[in-house]
Amino acid sequence: MSLNKISSCLAALLCVSFPALAEIDLSGSWAAINHEDSLERGGGPNPVDWAGLPFNDAGRAKALSFSQSIISMPERICWFQTQWHIAAGPFSLRMWAVPDPITGKVQAWVVGAWETRAPMTIYMDGRPHPGKNAPHDQTGFTTGVWNGNELIATTTHIKTGYIRRNGAPSSDQATITTHFLRHGDLLTVALFMDDPVYLTEPYILTRSYNLSTNPVAIGGPPCIVGDEGVESGRVPHYLPGKNPFVDEMTKLYGIPEEASLGGAETMYPEFREKIKDKFKLPAKCAKNCANAGGN
Amino acid sequence: MKSKLFVLVFAGLSMLGGRAYAHHSFASTYLEDQKMTIEADVLQFLYRNPHSFLQLQTKDAKGNAITWAVEWGAGAQLGSKGVQRDTLRPGDHVIVIGSPGRNPEDHRLRMIDIKRPSDGWSWKGTFD
Repeated sequence: MSLNKISSCLAALLCVSFPALAEIDLSGSWAAINHEDSLERGGGPNPVDWAGLPFNDAGRAKALSFSQSIISMPERICWFQTQWHIAAGPFSLRMWAVPDPITGKVQAWVVGAWETRAPMTIYMDGRPHPGKNAPHDQTGFTTGVWNGNELIATTTHIKTGYIRRNGAPSSDQATITTHFLRHGDLLTVALFMDDPVYLTEPYILTRSYNLSTNPVAIGGPPCIVGDEGVESGRVPHYLPGKNPFVDEMTKLYGIPEEASLGGAETMYPEFREKIKDKFKLPAKCAKNCANAGGN
Repeated sequence: MKSKLFVLVFAGLSMLGGRAYAHHSFASTYLEDQKMTIEADVLQFLYRNPHSFLQLQTKDAKGNAITWAVEWGAGAQLGSKGVQRDTLRPGDHVIVIGSPGRNPEDHRLRMIDIKRPSDGWSWKGTFD
């Protein structure tokens, strides 16, 4: 047998033995570990705590206009979050594959819904994203590709939403890139938010999950609109310069406003050097102090 | 050791109670370090996920009716503590202690404690 024939046979064998891409199975119930960013994943962040968010001026201005009461408007109680809520919310994940009925190939991966987030359907069949003027909704449109054993999902066509549960905004021009990395029974999800309207740099969060034999519930009961204290027609907000909680982080933790108001430089360690003379350690930690002696 | 224990306990609680968390931030919605007591009549009990709401009615000094929205645990979470959808009925007179909302005009509380003097029924606790 000639060298060429041997090479051809080996190449053919390799094609038969291994999938063209190193896909891995992501299906199952993934229980949130929630050891990262405990305020984000738990009861929620303090108002005007935007340190580490790469805001531009528009992002900061919109965030400062946010009153938490706005999501209790009857018109918004049943309003879904965008897919970024995987990063900003606390829930576990359930994932499954949707096969093509003819070929059996995975046509899409689905990350099941929560009560406040629509399912994320990640199309794997190479279809293009809709045109830029196509309708947007909270679900968005998501396609995926494999990079080795990492699934990379790209979500566009979302509506405006929040990147932190205290009103830090994202725009309808944002793109969410979600990386799913499985290491045995551990799943790491790394989310990148690129938003040309409100951010100057990508904002990145990671979340970790353990494979669980307890099925993670998906969906939930239908949302019921009720009185949450905001009557129909009132739109809670703060006018420029009127947000009453702008100094909350200074009062609680001695953190200067230039840090709590965010901006790309607040993401990086060097920023600590810049504000070190302005930081005043409170005599006693009053809230969310964990092992520091507070509650 | 302490920090490891904290992480383990927090992770465990998160897995157990994951679906009970709200879509909003409690810290941004309520003055969590303050308490307020109101005595009122039940208008409606909205027993639901991710959080239940109890609507109460009081009167101000001039006799005008004020409706309060008291946020409570998820239906499943309350059910496991013995609070069912018919535990409270319209007209029940109750005394509620809660953390007030940051926007006073919302007339909103986060439930800490509730008592019904007519039969001594009560509930006290926290929820996520």
